[in-house]
Amino acid sequence: MRLPQFTYHSPDTLEGVLALLDEHRDQAGVLAGGTDLLVRMKHRLAAPKVLVSLKHLDTLSYIKETSGMVSIGAKTPIIDVIQSDRVRQQAPALVEACERIGAVSIQHYRGTIGGNILQDNRCIHYNQSQFHRSGRQPCHKDGGKICYARDEADRCNSTCQSDGATALMALDAHLVLNSIRGERRVALDAFYSTDGIHPFDMQPDELLTRIDVPVVPEAVSAYARLSYRSAIDYPIVCAGVRLVPDPDDAGCIGSARIVVGAMGRSPLFLSKVSQSLTGIRFDNSTAFEQAGKDAMNAAAAFAAHNAGAALTYRQAMVEKMVGRVLSKAAAQVSIRKER
Amino acid sequence: MQIMHTTDITLTINEQTHTLAVKPNDTLLEVVRDYLDLTGSKEGCGEGVCGSCTVLLDGHPVRACLTLALEADGSDVTTVEGLADGDTLSVLQQSFIDHGAVQCGFCTPGMLMSARALLNDNPSPDREAVRKSLSGNICRCTGYAKIVDAVEHAARPESGCPDCHNGETGGDHD
Repeated sequence: MRLPQFTYHSPDTLEGVLALLDEHRDQAGVLAGGTDLLVRMKHRLAAPKVLVSLKHLDTLSYIKETSGMVSIGAKTPIIDVIQSDRVRQQAPALVEACERIGAVSIQHYRGTIGGNILQDNRCIHYNQSQFHRSGRQPCHKDGGKICYARDEADRCNSTCQSDGATALMALDAHLVLNSIRGERRVALDAFYSTDGIHPFDMQPDELLTRIDVPVVPEAVSAYARLSYRSAIDYPIVCAGVRLVPDPDDAGCIGSARIVVGAMGRSPLFLSKVSQSLTGIRFDNSTAFEQAGKDAMNAAAAFAAHNAGAALTYRQAMVEKMVGRVLSKAAAQVSIRKER
Repeated sequence: MQIMHTTDITLTINEQTHTLAVKPNDTLLEVVRDYLDLTGSKEGCGEGVCGSCTVLLDGHPVRACLTLALEADGSDVTTVEGLADGDTLSVLQQSFIDHGAVQCGFCTPGMLMSARALLNDNPSPDREAVRKSLSGNICRCTGYAKIVDAVEHAARPESGCPDCHNGETGGDHD
């Protein structure tokens, strides 16, 4: 399968990249690992006239801890996140999520954490070859006015199937975006539009440069996902959670962040379900089961029939995934106590 | 650097250095197969799912179909042709044959390269590590058990693989 033609740039500096993005805007594509972009280009779902490679920007590949933050450069390979003791210690949910991305030959060298967050939304009706799509009317994301995932929908219902973004949203991560106009910092849960065609609240001249994960003392986190195969496949349901103990009673949850992924246009931060866990003891499995049910009810309406499994099955599995991550995270508290 | 048409890149492939004129939209797989006639690496899906195009880029397994040739400029590439020493198969390749791990053979080059990468990093992998390292490579014939057996056997001391078990040596050849 041939790639379409494009002009290739590989600037040596961040300023050079930002200048090119400003010059070419919608016509430009940013190439980091290429495991998402190049596939979409082969399918003719994306056709940037200019590819701006980050090949020489090794300054965007790092993991460091400063002033209560673990900062990860956007170009950091996924394998570096998996192998980082610092991330494993401060944000185990992110390591669990990264371990599930793609396969070894994608994680080790090509795939980057920034690319995983910015992977385009997917839909089983859209992410198909040009030949497959040529046999029917184009959908919203393909430039038409039809949604095959949800009858009579007036907008695109493509799904965010990023493992990394789901875990990072549970960890309350912030993104740093750079452009020639300057730098801005945005919370990951405020980064998404409600539009499946352009899922990110990001300008064409902006480049994701850094991910900041706050270090919360005593916090525990976990991630779980459901997919047909253990490798290569995207999640059909996933969930991430971070639990912070109550400072006055370490046996109780002080605050929780429950995020459900692969069920909507963005990972879904379930604030009400999360709040319902405040004051709950870490060994209260009944409350976790109830939170799973509540999460299912909250997330069910966002999903469309577009991820390769029956919608009712995915909805039912939200309960299991959320119950599972809550138990996994709470178990870390008891392990810590034993030590 | 702006490249619109063709440009020269330098690739060291199986320890031989090549200078090649490539187009921006040439993939590494197209370069090794079509320019250099190294047709061991296969194009299965062409979109990073099947793993049959896996090669080692600076020692790491990558999907050659999703790697631009320009991105690999200056790199060291090992394809399946680089495993054998002349007509003598590597221990890993021989183990695949001995264990019946090859049926149609289409996935085999990718399986071998993923296994080679694993053994370079971890000379004594357990079965789970072997399964995980091969999880990105799809085989529609064997059911995987014999492939995992073959890699496990190649990693045992009695197999005679110089790069395995002790971790003291490492290289592209078995």
